[in-house]
Amino acid sequence: MGSNTVIKAEGISKKYLLNQSSTKSDTLYGNFINAFKNLGSSSPTKEFWALNDVSFEIGRGDRIGIIGRNGAGKSTLLKILSRITPPTKGRIEITGRVASLLEVGTGFHGDLSGKENIYLNGSILGMSKREIDSKFEEIVEFAEVKDFLDTPVKRYSSGMYVRLAFAVAAHLEPEILIVDEVLAVGDAAFQKKCIGKMKDVSNSGRTILFVSHHMASIQSLCNKALVLKNGAIDFPLSDTDACLKHYLKDVINQSKSEIALRTDRKGEGNFRFRNIILKDKAGYVINAAQTGADLTLQIEFDLQIENITNLALAITIYSDEGREMFTLANHITKEPFGNVSRKNVIQCHVKQFPLNNGSYLCNIIAYKDSVIQDYVLEAFHLEVEQGDFYGTGKAITTNQACFLVNNEWELK
Amino acid sequence: MNPEKTIIDADSSSFFSLKEILRYKNLLNNLARRDFLVRYKQAFAGILWALIKPLINILVFGYISVKISGTSNASVNFIYVASALLLWQLFASVLNDVSNSIIGNANLFSKVFFPKIIIPLSTIMVCLVDFFISLVILVVLFIISGQPLHWQIVLAPLFIVLAVINGLGIGLYMATINVKYRDVKFIVPVMVQFGMYVTPVILSSAYYLERLPKWAHWIFCLNPMMGAIDGFKYCLFGGDAIYNTTYFIISLSVSFLFLIIGIRYFYKFERDFVDYI
Repeated sequence: MGSNTVIKAEGISKKYLLNQSSTKSDTLYGNFINAFKNLGSSSPTKEFWALNDVSFEIGRGDRIGIIGRNGAGKSTLLKILSRITPPTKGRIEITGRVASLLEVGTGFHGDLSGKENIYLNGSILGMSKREIDSKFEEIVEFAEVKDFLDTPVKRYSSGMYVRLAFAVAAHLEPEILIVDEVLAVGDAAFQKKCIGKMKDVSNSGRTILFVSHHMASIQSLCNKALVLKNGAIDFPLSDTDACLKHYLKDVINQSKSEIALRTDRKGEGNFRFRNIILKDKAGYVINAAQTGADLTLQIEFDLQIENITNLALAITIYSDEGREMFTLANHITKEPFGNVSRKNVIQCHVKQFPLNNGSYLCNIIAYKDSVIQDYVLEAFHLEVEQGDFYGTGKAITTNQACFLVNNEWELK
Repeated sequence: MNPEKTIIDADSSSFFSLKEILRYKNLLNNLARRDFLVRYKQAFAGILWALIKPLINILVFGYISVKISGTSNASVNFIYVASALLLWQLFASVLNDVSNSIIGNANLFSKVFFPKIIIPLSTIMVCLVDFFISLVILVVLFIISGQPLHWQIVLAPLFIVLAVINGLGIGLYMATINVKYRDVKFIVPVMVQFGMYVTPVILSSAYYLERLPKWAHWIFCLNPMMGAIDGFKYCLFGGDAIYNTTYFIISLSVSFLFLIIGIRYFYKFERDFVDYI
């Protein structure tokens, strides 16, 4: 272990048993229960390796981004590093005090006042009473809750609650800080404040491990990154840019095959959809749209002829129960594209994406002069993640509404 | 400054360490504080509830005891029952709260690392606070009845600790099982209810032992709460509260045996709680 290494992980693996309840039978009681259960059904347990032979070395002061799709093992890795769950195999050596922030406001109790919760949450995160005392003023100021310190937090607005919770965590001063996607809460201004705070932390020589879906945060915060895929390292620890490039290429490749390979399509075929890529405001490829965020759908296509004129394109979005939500169509909002060649890039921009979080299906269709060129039903799944539509930190949840609509209230 | 080193691997198991617990004493205090504050928040009568429940129990079981034993000295009998009941209730609440503490706080240790023993230990603090509040009843009864105090009263705290040890030992075992089998939350109240009738709470050990066949004496004194309650009564009233010293020592030994088993069992599975919860 080099003198500058703070975390050295060798071959960490984590096995989960799906249907665990009937596996451990090393107690009398367990044996009894098992014998009982096995009468009814013999349910063989399946092994699932959430992490498989992951090794890396992290140096002092590094800010590491951990990138990967859902289920790649990012959270499992963080849980093992923060000693919440043990690895099945492998060994990790950590030098220095670790604090992990896998959730904002762990242990917050609604009935307790803001002040009481600061002390409770601080102690859960591993701060001593003296540490909390000395940072108390700073925390209150950062959270902007000075007037509500004696109010039970259940009466806080969700924005205040999140601010208070993050403020406590942000004032932790461990040598190694492990952060899961906790920044996905709160409004944009507050997120910026948090990223700024984390940068301060790392500038003082501390090491940060950070998981996020938000490529822009990873890029602005981390100097190195690693990519996980199906529980293994897909791209080793290296510069953030190289990692992001690899990861985004992979995301595009994976979705590409799906539309291009479809054979159950209709139309003349002069114009054919190859792929739809989602991008965020900054132009980064994303896996999922976010409620309230600007979304760009980039349409990749193949042409059988040099140019195609009068091209009308439409994307119709359905809920997963098959209810039509809305259609995005160039010939309705404006005119069909006059002339499209292979060199063109087609993008559809949607400001403040209005759908609430959930999974949606999209049909895509292309016409030339009212003749169908390409028509693919259920061409892709559109995942929408919860976002801060109103910039207030307050969300309307799915079972209440599909759409979010901008509105202003006035009292005259 | 010497930076601390942590090794995480597949088979390093955890052991009971007082040093580790002391390092997390701030968390221990704050969790206990939380439980205490939350318990009486928005309750109109507040802390009075800590008196009302034991008071009702004492009235009911005190009356029953006087009727069954047919004693001539009702007021003394009453205060005997009161002391035993309060200690039993301390044991019962420790056992019950410790058993449920781990699953009740899963949201904490599935997000942050700390020694999990902190959770059951913090619940004990609240039980103790309730117990000391309810001791007011006993003090009042002593004053009213004019019972004399003996020198042994200085030993009484030992038996309060013993009742806690009993609750903790069995409770840790139950808390561990509870992670996987939620049946525990039904079993514990049954144990507590049944246990009270086979422990010298309402009636004295002498009353039981004089009526039980010889072979059943052994079963009677395998009950760890028998020693705690008889010892407590001896400290408060002196005399022949401890019926048979051998039986008393057996019961004490069982207490410590249960504590060791409970702690070992808890630590054996502690690291895996998150994956089963």
